[in-house]
Amino acid sequence: MKRIFETGNAAITEAAIFAGCKVFAGYPITPATEIAENMSRRLPQVDGYYVQAEDELSAMHICIGASLGGLKAMTSTSGPGYILFADPYGWALGSEIPVVVVNAQRVGPVSGITGAPGQGEFYLSRYPTHGGNFESIVLAPNSVQEAFALTVEAFYLAERFRMPVTVLADQIVTDGWETLLIPETPAEIEAMGLRVQPRRINYGPEFYPATDEIDVPPVVLGHNTGAACSDWTPTAEGFDTEEIEWQHKHAHRLIYKVRNHKELITRYEEIDTADNPEVILVAYGSPSRVLKSAVKAAREQGLKVGGIRLVSIWPFPDEAFGRSAKYLSVELNYDGQLVREVQRAAPKDSDIHFLGRCGELPKVAELVAAARDLINGQPLASIKWQREAW
Amino acid sequence: MDYLATKYLKTKKIPSTACSGCGLGQVHKKVLLAIDELGLATGDIVWGTGIGCSGRQTFNTWQGDNFAGTHGRVYAIATGLRLALPPEKKIVLTVGDGDAFGIGLLHLLHSVRRNVDMTVVVADNFGYQSTGGQYGYTTPSGSVTDSSPYGMQDPNWVQDGRDILDILRAAGAGFLARHTSVEGQNAVESIKKAIQFKGFSLVHIAYPCITNFAGKALGSRKPVVAYRWLKERTNPAPDQAIDGITFRTGIYHQATAGRPEFSEQMRNFTAAVRKEGQHETNGNIG
Ligand code: SF4
Repeated sequence: MKRIFETGNAAITEAAIFAGCKVFAGYPITPATEIAENMSRRLPQVDGYYVQAEDELSAMHICIGASLGGLKAMTSTSGPGYILFADPYGWALGSEIPVVVVNAQRVGPVSGITGAPGQGEFYLSRYPTHGGNFESIVLAPNSVQEAFALTVEAFYLAERFRMPVTVLADQIVTDGWETLLIPETPAEIEAMGLRVQPRRINYGPEFYPATDEIDVPPVVLGHNTGAACSDWTPTAEGFDTEEIEWQHKHAHRLIYKVRNHKELITRYEEIDTADNPEVILVAYGSPSRVLKSAVKAAREQGLKVGGIRLVSIWPFPDEAFGRSAKYLSVELNYDGQLVREVQRAAPKDSDIHFLGRCGELPKVAELVAAARDLINGQPLASIKWQREAW
Repeated sequence: MDYLATKYLKTKKIPSTACSGCGLGQVHKKVLLAIDELGLATGDIVWGTGIGCSGRQTFNTWQGDNFAGTHGRVYAIATGLRLALPPEKKIVLTVGDGDAFGIGLLHLLHSVRRNVDMTVVVADNFGYQSTGGQYGYTTPSGSVTDSSPYGMQDPNWVQDGRDILDILRAAGAGFLARHTSVEGQNAVESIKKAIQFKGFSLVHIAYPCITNFAGKALGSRKPVVAYRWLKERTNPAPDQAIDGITFRTGIYHQATAGRPEFSEQMRNFTAAVRKEGQHETNGNIG
């Protein structure tokens, strides 16, 4: 086991290389720039290629092209760049080409604050392209070590599901320094639960089965199989068609290959939930670390508080919200994004509340106080424009 | 087309859905003739297309491997693909004028700058025709189209002292040619040279759109009117003067000393980094 002191950006870089990434194309943007810089240093050392693209559209399309040619590829960005991926993201989703996309969320909207954490792309990561008719896969690390693990996992899922996968991080995770353990032996890799799926080649002539099947090798050009790949609605052989029936089959596949294999994707952590707590704090990414401490502190004060930390975001783990409780969604935004999904997933007799911060983490004491207020039926001490109940 | 079609195209996509009389088939036939005369097989080429008439009519007609990109991004896809494909594999892209000279121009320019080994054939129908006939970047000034009912007043890339090929040349393109679809072997020869060129090459070929451009800008949907219009303006002899809109055809530029090709340079760079022993082991267990 190699033990180093590193940032989340470095962890993501090393994870990509561990997973077999050979191409990185990206466009510099704070706070994801370091991933690009690290890739420019690391990839040539492992026979890979770093390309600095002219913009994000190009960055992800270059990755798509490389993946279409048989090389694993990754790009990284922050919110203003992630929105520009909307075009290539759709191409990769529709054409079923694996690519890993990292989004280091910062404060928005638009350019916002470049060097502070935000969580504004929760919904954008669910709908990263136009046209609908698809499910997306999104993983959200809350530490440097987890950034490593989930980037490796993102490559694995991208290959098995033939699609782009987003690692939805935030500035605290990508810029933060922590101890990073990198496994070196098969036993260590196994102990860390890391999975690597080598690239397989679709020798066709079938472009895809119009079912929910996974583990269908992606189309790889250059093997003279007559393979075809485009953004148009494909028939089973990959011909473009205007027929609604084929669009139905295609949409069904893009939606259900993810939904029907959700157990391979879904991950979340329950903290002190065994005794059906009165208040359950919910978060993903860096706020979930405050949440853990807050649950501990609240318990020490005799408050029946638990927590749910989401590790996979999409498909949304509805099953994590089976208990009736007072839920408090803790997020790095002021408009409340995760809270709406909690509201949708939780039992109808639950109370759903929201606590938003942006650019900085909420404090442990603040979360404990909010939990106490909820238990006592008091209104949340919130800033005026911050809605407390949903 | 029969012999070439059987040899190179997927029968399922023949005949194409192009409007009858469209000049697009002439452009594609020239590309196939060039491939055939060079003795290339389907396995030697990965064929890419974009959107619009030229993308939609060409996608998955090629028997070998092929792809279609969204509006203007096909050059970036091809850049990534170039890194993954063996160097001897040719990439041929047939795209429209809107794709190459409009929405995709940034990516096209950067492919030129990087000297990515690909051959771009721009099938130019003077505007956006698959969307119903709006003006584009090569629409002759003054033309009446669906989005220029009073005559096109937006400056284009091919008149009044501007030439898109000048820009591509300045960006470092090694091989550039211009033709019209009514030309014969001279256009085929240019495409052959473009395909053989190691590095970025582009052949710009104007062709008549019967349904929209001819119908509106030329005032007639009779193919003979559009073909005559184009033929009268096709000028393969530089000393011959033609008034008004003209297409000076032939090789526009062929570099004598080639610039380093993108993927070759990337491979050499990677090899050099590894050789210099800068290889670190942190994190790399592969
Ligand atoms: S719209 Fe014009 S360019 Fe397009 S296929 Fe028809 S005739 Fe050809």
